[in-house]
Amino acid sequence: MKIVSMIKKDLLALLSDKKALIIILLMPIVLMVILGFALKGIFADSWEFGKVNIAIVKQYDAASDLKRFEELSDAGDEVDPENIFFHEFLESKEVSDLISYRIETEERARELLNSREISAIVVLPEKYLYNMKVNLLTPFRNEININIQINPDATMNGEIVKAVMQAYSDSMSSVIIGKNVLIEAAMANSPGNGGLKGMEAVMTGIMDALKAVRVEIDDVTLEGRKPISSSDYYAAAMLTMFILFAAGHGGRMLLEEKENFTWQRMTVAGTSRFGILAGKFFVIFLIACIQIAIMTVFSSFVLKVEWGDFLSVAGIGIAAAFAAAGVGVIIAVTAFRAGNYKLANVFESGIIQIMALLGGSFVPIDILPDVFQRLSILSLNGIALKAYQKTMMGYGMEDVWGYILALAGIGAVFSVLSVVILMRREGTGHGKHYQVKAVKA
Amino acid sequence: MLKVENLEKNFGTIKAVDGISFEVRKGEVFGLLGPNGAGKSTTISVISTLLPPSGGVILFEGKDIFADPKAIQRKLGVVPQDIALYPTLSGYENLSFWGNLYGLSGGELKKRIDEVCEIIGLNGRIKDRVDKYSGGMKRRLNIGAALLHMPELLIMDEPTVGIDPQSRNHILDTVLALSRQGMTIIYTSHYMEEVEYLCSRICIMDQGRIIASGSKDELVEMISGKTMIGLQMESIDQELLNSLGSMEGIDRIEQQENQIQIRCENADLILADIIARVTASGNHLRSVAVKKPNLEAVFLHLTGKALRD
Repeated sequence: MKIVSMIKKDLLALLSDKKALIIILLMPIVLMVILGFALKGIFADSWEFGKVNIAIVKQYDAASDLKRFEELSDAGDEVDPENIFFHEFLESKEVSDLISYRIETEERARELLNSREISAIVVLPEKYLYNMKVNLLTPFRNEININIQINPDATMNGEIVKAVMQAYSDSMSSVIIGKNVLIEAAMANSPGNGGLKGMEAVMTGIMDALKAVRVEIDDVTLEGRKPISSSDYYAAAMLTMFILFAAGHGGRMLLEEKENFTWQRMTVAGTSRFGILAGKFFVIFLIACIQIAIMTVFSSFVLKVEWGDFLSVAGIGIAAAFAAAGVGVIIAVTAFRAGNYKLANVFESGIIQIMALLGGSFVPIDILPDVFQRLSILSLNGIALKAYQKTMMGYGMEDVWGYILALAGIGAVFSVLSVVILMRREGTGHGKHYQVKAVKA
Repeated sequence: MLKVENLEKNFGTIKAVDGISFEVRKGEVFGLLGPNGAGKSTTISVISTLLPPSGGVILFEGKDIFADPKAIQRKLGVVPQDIALYPTLSGYENLSFWGNLYGLSGGELKKRIDEVCEIIGLNGRIKDRVDKYSGGMKRRLNIGAALLHMPELLIMDEPTVGIDPQSRNHILDTVLALSRQGMTIIYTSHYMEEVEYLCSRICIMDQGRIIASGSKDELVEMISGKTMIGLQMESIDQELLNSLGSMEGIDRIEQQENQIQIRCENADLILADIIARVTASGNHLRSVAVKKPNLEAVFLHLTGKALRD
C-alpha cells in the first residue's frame, strides 16, 4: 500500500515536471522521427530482400575493341571479358543474391541514381574490352579503371557494391599475374615463337581456372529475414537510449527526498528504508515501461515500424525497464550517500552518451570497427537494441531469451548492490544534518 | 504519557544532548525553550524515532519506544522544523500522500483532509501547487500533514520560523485549538513569547542540557522580585562597568557587545543614578528598557546570555 502511494506520488511529481517529461517522453519520439527519416538512405528501405540495384554503363565500343585486338593478336577468341564480367561474375549465384544489375546509358543511370532507384553506377571505361583481352592474352598489362558512383544517401549499399567490385578486381588481378608468370616461364624454356604458340593452350587452362574463381563475400546475414529500415532501427535505438534517462531521473529521487526532508518524514511515518528504495525502483521501472509502451505504439502506428513477435518484444521491454530501474537505484543510493548529484549529473551528461554510442543508438555499430561491436555488450541499451533488431528481423523468443536474461541480470545485480549500500550503516545523513546544527551552537 | 530519562545523543565528540530528563503529561502543551543549537531539535528527532539515542531511555505510555518503534510512530505526529512537503504537488496531493502513509484511504482519507484543511485554514487553496504558497501557508500545510492520522502526541519543532506575524498567530491559535481538543503537544521554540503563550510546563535547554523546568510561574519565581534594566549604548568602557558594579542594589551586570543588562531589586530607586553615571562616563546612551521578570530574564539569569541569537 505504501509502495503504491509512493509510486503514485512520484508519477504525479513527474507529470508536473515539464522538463523531465520533455526529456523522457517527447525527445525520444521527436528524435525517432527525425533520425528515421534523415538517415533513411543508409538502411535497407530501397532493397528488396537485401538486393542492391545497380546500373552498368559501358563506355567502350565492343566491336571497335575486338577489331583493334584482332589487329594486335589472333589469340584467344574464346576469352570473352564481357562474358566473364556479366555472366561468370555478376550472374553467379553468390553475387546475384546480393546485386541486381541493369545496363544503362550514362545519362539514364544518373537519373536512376538521383531518384534512388539504384544505389550505385559501375562504369566500365573506354577500351575496357580491348584492355582486358590484352591483359589476359598477351604479356602486356594495361591499366583499367572501373569507376563506381554511389548515391550518398545509400552508403551502406554503396559499400556492398564497392566490396563486390573489389573482390572482382582482386580475382582478375590474380588471374593476370598467374598468366604473366606462365608466359615468363614459357619464354624462359622455349624462347621465340615456339613459346608463344603454346599460349592458346595455356589460356584455355587459365579460363578453366577462372571459372573456379569465386567471389567470397562475408556477413551475408539476411537469409530471407525481413530487412531493418532506418525507422525500425532508430525507433529501437531511441527507445533503448531514452530509458537510460528514466534511470537518470530516478537517480536523483532519493537525494531529493532527503533535501525536501520528506525522507525523514516518511521514516517517522513508519516507512522503512528498504520500502522507500523499493518504491523508487518500481517508479523507475514504471516510467521506463511507460516510455517503452508509448514509443512502441507511436512508432508502430505513425512510423509503421514492425517490432516483431509480441511476446518477445514485451519480454525485452520489461527486461530493459528492469535493468534501467536497477541502474537508477544504484545511482540514487550513491547520490544519497554522497549527499550530492555529481554521479547523477555525470551519468546523464556523460555515461548515457557513451552507452548510446557503444550501444549503437547514434550510428549502427555494424558499420563500426569490431572493437566497438564487442564493447556494445557493455551497454544496457546496446543489449536491448540487439534484441529488438532480432525481433524486427523476424526472430522469436528462442533467439532473444539470452538478451532478456542479460538485461534481467543487470537489473538484479544493481538492485542488490543498491540495497547493500543503502543498508550498510545507520544514520543515512540525519546525523550529518544535526551535527551541523550542533556545531552552530 | 512520555517519559525521557537521562537521554544522551552524541555526534562524534559533540554532545548534542547531555543526559536530559523530563516528563510530558497527557493533554498538556509542553514547551522546550532554548536558543538555536541548544539540542531541542535533536531531542525531538530522538523522540520521533528518527535518530537512535546514545544513551538513556524514552518511555511512551510505559514502553520503550525503540523496542517497537512502529507502535509509537502510529501515535505520533511530527511537524518538522523544515518544510517537508513536495513542492510540485498540490496541497491536497501532499495531504493525500501523507494520509496514505499513515494507512488512511478512500472516504476516511477525504474526510480527514477536509477536517485538517478546516483546522489549518487552507480550504480555498488546497488544490494549488505547494510551490505557489506563501511561507506561512507552507508552514500550515506542514502542520496539517502531521494531523491527518489524529496523533495522540503532536511534536512541533519550531513551527513558526521565518513566517509573517499573521501566519504565526494562526499557527499559535491552531495549537491552542488542538490542545483544547485534548491533544498532547510538545512545542519547541526559541521564541519566548510563544512558549509563554502556549505551554503549561516548560523545559529550558542550553548546550544540550536542561537548565530549568516547571510551569511559567515556577520559572519566573526563580527570579521573583527582580527587575531587569537594559541599556543600549553607543560604546562601553571598563570604567563605566566598574562604576555601575560598585552601586548598591544591583545583583548582577552582564555586557553583550553594546548592551548592558542589569538585574536589580528595585529599578525605581536606582535608575536615575545609573543614568547619571552613564552620562558622566562620557559613553553615549541610546536607550533604556526596564523589564519585568519573564522567561527571557530567567534564561539570562541562568546562563548570563540572551535567549535569541
